Amino acid sequence: MLGYIIQRLATGVVTLFGVALIVFLIMRVIPGDAAVMMSGAGSGVVSEAELAQVRARLGIDRPLVVQFADWASHVAVFDLGTSLRTGSPVIEDIARRFPYTLQIVVLAMVLAIGIGVPAGVVSSWFAGSWIDRSLQTFTIIGLAAPSFWVGLMMIIGLVYFFNWSAPLFWEPFWTSPLKSMSQLIWPAIAVGLRQLALIARMTRSIMREVLNEDYIRTARAKGLSETRVVFRHALWNGALPIITLIGFEIAALFGGLIITETVFSVPGLGQYVVQSILDRDYPAAQGIVLMLAGIVVLGNLVVDLLYGLLDPRTRVQGARA
Amino acid sequence: MSANDMTKKLPINRRAVLKAGASGLAAATMLPTVSWSQTKSPKSGGTLLLSHGGDPPTLDMHQSATYLTEFVASPCYSTLLRIDPTDINKLIPDLAEKYEVSPDGKTVTFNLVKGVEFHNGMPLTADDVVFSLDRIRKPPAGIVSPRKGLLGGVKDVVAKDAHTVVVNLIAPQADFPFQVANPYNVIVPRKVVEPLDTAGTGMKRTIMGTGAFKLSQAVDGQIYELVRNEKYFGQKAYVDKIQMFPIRGEVERASALQSGRIHGSFFFASEAVLDGLRKTPNITALRRPTPTFINLIPNLKVKPFDDIRVREALSLAIDRSAFIQTVGPLAGAFYHSTGLLLPGSDYNLGMDEIKKYSGFDTMPEGGGNIEANRKRAMELLEQAGVPKGFKMSLLARSDIPAFRDSSINLAAQLKTIGIEATVDIRDAGAFYTAETTGQFQVVAHSIAISGSLPDQILGEGYTSFGGRNYGGWKDDAIDAAFRAQSAELDPAKRKELIKDFQRMFLKTYFHINLAWVGYGAAHSNSLKGWNALPDLYANMQMDRVWLDT
Amino acid sequence: MSDTTQGIDPLAAYANFKPAIAPEKPARGKRVLHLIRSQPLGAISAFVLLIMVLAATFAPYLAPFDPTTGDPTALYQPPNAKYWLGTDAFGRDILSRLIYGARISLIIGFGASILGVVVGTIIGVTSGYLGGWLDSIAQRLMDAMLAFPMLLLALAMAAVLGSSVQNVIIALAMPIVPRAARIARASTLVLKTTTFIEASRAIGCSNLRIIVVHILPNTFAPLLVIATAYLGLAIVQEAALDYLGAGIQEPQPSWGLMMSGSATSLALTAPWIVLVPGLAITVVVLASNLLGDAIRDVLDPKLQRNI
Repeated sequence: MLGYIIQRLATGVVTLFGVALIVFLIMRVIPGDAAVMMSGAGSGVVSEAELAQVRARLGIDRPLVVQFADWASHVAVFDLGTSLRTGSPVIEDIARRFPYTLQIVVLAMVLAIGIGVPAGVVSSWFAGSWIDRSLQTFTIIGLAAPSFWVGLMMIIGLVYFFNWSAPLFWEPFWTSPLKSMSQLIWPAIAVGLRQLALIARMTRSIMREVLNEDYIRTARAKGLSETRVVFRHALWNGALPIITLIGFEIAALFGGLIITETVFSVPGLGQYVVQSILDRDYPAAQGIVLMLAGIVVLGNLVVDLLYGLLDPRTRVQGARA
Repeated sequence: MSANDMTKKLPINRRAVLKAGASGLAAATMLPTVSWSQTKSPKSGGTLLLSHGGDPPTLDMHQSATYLTEFVASPCYSTLLRIDPTDINKLIPDLAEKYEVSPDGKTVTFNLVKGVEFHNGMPLTADDVVFSLDRIRKPPAGIVSPRKGLLGGVKDVVAKDAHTVVVNLIAPQADFPFQVANPYNVIVPRKVVEPLDTAGTGMKRTIMGTGAFKLSQAVDGQIYELVRNEKYFGQKAYVDKIQMFPIRGEVERASALQSGRIHGSFFFASEAVLDGLRKTPNITALRRPTPTFINLIPNLKVKPFDDIRVREALSLAIDRSAFIQTVGPLAGAFYHSTGLLLPGSDYNLGMDEIKKYSGFDTMPEGGGNIEANRKRAMELLEQAGVPKGFKMSLLARSDIPAFRDSSINLAAQLKTIGIEATVDIRDAGAFYTAETTGQFQVVAHSIAISGSLPDQILGEGYTSFGGRNYGGWKDDAIDAAFRAQSAELDPAKRKELIKDFQRMFLKTYFHINLAWVGYGAAHSNSLKGWNALPDLYANMQMDRVWLDT
Repeated sequence: MSDTTQGIDPLAAYANFKPAIAPEKPARGKRVLHLIRSQPLGAISAFVLLIMVLAATFAPYLAPFDPTTGDPTALYQPPNAKYWLGTDAFGRDILSRLIYGARISLIIGFGASILGVVVGTIIGVTSGYLGGWLDSIAQRLMDAMLAFPMLLLALAMAAVLGSSVQNVIIALAMPIVPRAARIARASTLVLKTTTFIEASRAIGCSNLRIIVVHILPNTFAPLLVIATAYLGLAIVQEAALDYLGAGIQEPQPSWGLMMSGSATSLALTAPWIVLVPGLAITVVVLASNLLGDAIRDVLDPKLQRNI
């Protein structure tokens, strides 16, 4: 098991190196010059000599290989450099913005699991009934609707019916947890709707399958109550694929938040990374992409390990692989 | 407000605004007189809540040219002289209690107020003034100063004693006192700033001034908070605190104002949004013309735009009234000027004269015939050997829809003279790089000048050494004409020289002026003591503003 | 779970995919009828997509108004007899923009998903078949691209390439490539060990011939499913790019553009402006998801049990 973890971690590091290389190259290939953006863009012509000075100060006049090696060696010790736009260390900017993003992800997942799993169970229980049908219709639309459009429509609806307006100041979680949660619940719903639908559908299918298995029939034959059969036996045995899905979806959520945060103007990582790309803020854009990729890699790893823990067959296979 | 109200009232209102903007004088009457002429005596206390369109890219006033920086930092700083909050053409003392111009006009002496302290407790000395003015006109390596041209006429700045600063000018300059009163040209402490400049960061994250407020927190994407400076050398500010929230969306800002969660927002472009606010009770919404103009700028270094006939054809192709009608409500570009200066300025040439220049007769009330203009444009293109269906790209910026939409309107207008204009829409990074380094054919740029005087507008916008010469043209005669008007101290003679300059410039079609912009401002009626001047950046110190609650 | 519709990332569901080597083919005559009867949702979806494609193709004949020039006297009109779906901030007819917008959205959707799947398949099949260090490098590269947030990859590529329809297609195909490559590679690895590939190799077939004649046709089924699922995804991502100002540009009408920019500045009081294009996207994505499911069920009934 330990060997397997080490091997997977090593692969993860290689993958992240690949991500680092790709994001570094893309940022340098994008037309547009960080030096121009740093020199009061839009305020007039800046001479080539002035730009050269700014480039030298930023160190972006060096050969690409040197720049990459420099950046990568700093990243290796968790130093992401200083944001060109905000002027503060990228790590600090992330530390301030990440809690909002994380909070939305957690809220979204709590909603998705808390509603999605029971909805799936109910759906499978009453398979074919009107309850099942309406849940199925709802979830299939939930999967198709673009999340940022859901967000836009939610804002319009909230404003129209409840006279809601977007918060001026997004309360950090630690100063006022309740207020913070009540502010972030809307983007969480907008972005979590898809996950909810996915989990509900997955749960339903798995339950349908498991409920037909022999051991469930045996359990029923033994006279166990239907509730006990469903929750104790069926759901427990179907949990594995659902957990896998959740693992993948948490990683996907971080990516999906990029646009939802923009729609709701949440000062999280999503807005920050979009702005960083537009402003050619190399250290910030590179740092956050790397971090988001790290979350994906870590998410996959955790899913694999959970699989190993919950399903002995995979562990053996995994250890051999 | 229901959608139906909107559809019924919007066009009427727009027309009214267009009409108002049509004559330069009417523009001035749009300014409110209400908030200034109230009789109540000001109250102290309270937190002023404001919102502007985003985060300042930097807090360094000298290095910035955006209102986002200026609105946050202006309350924290002082300038040598200050623009009179009731009249943009007058100056009042600030750090300099008086100034004196020598008889030959080449030496200006400023006497500083004594006992002024920076927010960190350091005393202000003449040396700080010397450092600040030098930082603006001759920025150290790695520091970029967009307004160095404003102080381009300065030979040197000397501290005569601890409280006297002498500025020697190369030539007399009537507008010079206004240049130091520019709200961006603030005085900063040498001891704090010099090490930051050496380190290469400048004042990106630092505000250190002598103003009525001091910065207490700046959280990117969240909040900028200022608190009253109790040791301010002038009359203390009324409000205890100012909190500013960076909300990008105009609609969101408007709704925050309508729901009473902020007291004011001083930057709205969209007329639809402003109009909604205008109809809200207890909110004052106004549009103020500001020295920002939309120019079509051909790149002289690219063929065929080095040919004056081609540039003249571009000017003839554009129906300025149609442009204002379409783009006005989006970008606030409702106004036009009968010269190169601010709409309504005495220095302008006047309609009778400006309409003689190709294409300008299509301004509202110009009486021109766009069909005839376009026919003439096609003849000019033919003479210049430009083939029909000539492909041209118009550089535009993607992140501000109003700018994008103006370029789309222009491309459509250029098609009428047989130019296949496509809009090359780039994100901010690529756009500014292409524009600054001359990698474009034609660009439509909304040029915001940080001042409305001839030296400021003509110097920055229309000289070959000015910051807005994106097209890379060169004309010594025009530069000389600029210097001549700048050095003329006799007002009547200067006026003639300024008109001569415009006549000279307009016939080159280096820049093709299309419209002038006015930005919306709106505030709750409980916000008192703020007067909108016809300049976006002026009177943003907020020290005389109070809350009537 | 035959009815699970794939959303943003269909990859997860195909992690355990085993390719069908020889799908059985019923008599041709009754096939279409049989398909419609056995997959009614799929048939309806195919029909909906077909209608959209037709509407896009014949847009100039169907659209009641010009999609780019608006009527300045009819701004923000709610849906009415003249403007069935209302007008936007420029007084442009939303129905006409919707019909014309279908062109760009569908071209981009089909273009990006086909391009992404084709390139991904070429990479996946080649690296899977040849194996060795080439395969390792390709795999790590694909892993890295997979870990990249999809929208950011598209956003960055759009910034690199500039915004035109072709470039947006390329930008949106980028995130699809590694996902398709993985699946193509997995199929190839399984096929490689089968006896009939080994037999072909024994009789001296060239690698290229084996890939083209034996492997590609057998990876077709899962890739078709993936392509259908990504059709919807690409349309959503295109709209997201437009929303961020990095996609297609005005005055071209696309569904994403209809939800962004100054045209929507009063969406709060005129919600139909953003409601309509979003619904259109939802319908297309829904149809492409359902069609993907149906294709999967028809081509490989075994697959449904593998998830």
